[in-house]
Amino acid sequence: MSSFPLRIVTPDGSLFDGQAEALRLRTSEGYVSLRAGHADYIAALDVGMVSLTRDGVTRNAACGGGFVSVEKGAVRLVATTFEYADDIDVERAELAKARAEERLAQAREDRDITLAKAKLSRALNRISVAKKQD
Amino acid sequence: MSGASMKQIKTRIKSVESTRQITKAMELVATSKLRRAKQRVENARPYHEVLLEAISGLQAGAAESPTVFAQAREVKKTCYVVIAGDRGLAGGYNANLFRMVRDMTQGEDYCVLPVGKKALEHFQRLGCEVVSTYFGVTGSVGIGDCTQMARLLCRLYAEEQFDRVVVAYTRFQSMLSQVPVSDALLPITLQQGETRYSGALVEGEAEELIAAIVPQYVSGVLFSALCEAEASEHGARRTAMNAANKNAGEIIDTLVLKYNRARQAVITQEITEIVSGAEAL
Repeated sequence: MSSFPLRIVTPDGSLFDGQAEALRLRTSEGYVSLRAGHADYIAALDVGMVSLTRDGVTRNAACGGGFVSVEKGAVRLVATTFEYADDIDVERAELAKARAEERLAQAREDRDITLAKAKLSRALNRISVAKKQD
Repeated sequence: MSGASMKQIKTRIKSVESTRQITKAMELVATSKLRRAKQRVENARPYHEVLLEAISGLQAGAAESPTVFAQAREVKKTCYVVIAGDRGLAGGYNANLFRMVRDMTQGEDYCVLPVGKKALEHFQRLGCEVVSTYFGVTGSVGIGDCTQMARLLCRLYAEEQFDRVVVAYTRFQSMLSQVPVSDALLPITLQQGETRYSGALVEGEAEELIAAIVPQYVSGVLFSALCEAEASEHGARRTAMNAANKNAGEIIDTLVLKYNRARQAVITQEITEIVSGAEAL
């Protein structure tokens, strides 16, 4: 299968810089899969799973939002957080989930509710990506 | 009399020594923290680069359907995001930054979003309009807080609470030099003559996309500024503490010399007294 250049960056560093065959991600409109030779494209990402195929092997990762752009066949994924499934700290995610649920139950202001909801969705995403791996 | 002055000198030596111990420890702490902060700056660099590349393409695409974020409007009020430290004893680190902000804001209507305890205290004392006191501690601000800050700024900017957003921080140039700088955040400056993305497929509405991406861009820029500022703080503190150590060493040397002289004077006096006492017998 033909491949395309891909860069995945987060504030904590560059996580991928090389050739990939497919990249499946969750945009604000739904899941899309990018292959080699995709037209120029830009989309905002939602919290969700990203699947990266390289040399026929697919790895899953939890992505906490960001955006993706394709320009002349080169794909750039700018993520706020990005963790491969085997790097996810499930215990921490469970704790975060419990904390977010607690906050959501107590939250009164809209701002607190949105914050807690965002936290909860990130935690749930991490847990579900990590579970899929096992 | 000389006995008393000897005691005085001794206490002074002791106090300078204990101060030196503290400054030495602070230098060591700053050095190790600096190493970590530098690592963080380097890690954040590719993110910043890719973000800029992607956003410049987007800006060109957005030129056809202008948004509030890319349109420059008449500046009535500016919001300054000032990233300073939480603690003092870092040489001119905080003071230099505040001086630059003061020079920049002269004769202008402005408000401030302070990051760091020192920045918060400074602008509250000046009686400036403070947008949010929530980000009062630099040390604990992560990418999540940057996102929050960016959302807040974008919302207020869209509501026309202010017409320009500038971030002021200290850039880490090298171990020995940290320079206060300011970067414009909003409105995003369009690069003219580039239409790379004009034919790009856009998922969903272009405006929604921009509304989602601009805060991320702002938070990315803020985050890298924050990393730079943190490294600068530790760098400045390291240099300041290094100088303090040297000065303490010099003071101790002169004091020891003084002490020895005083001791010698006491001995000489005693001998003279004994000799003259023996002669009197």
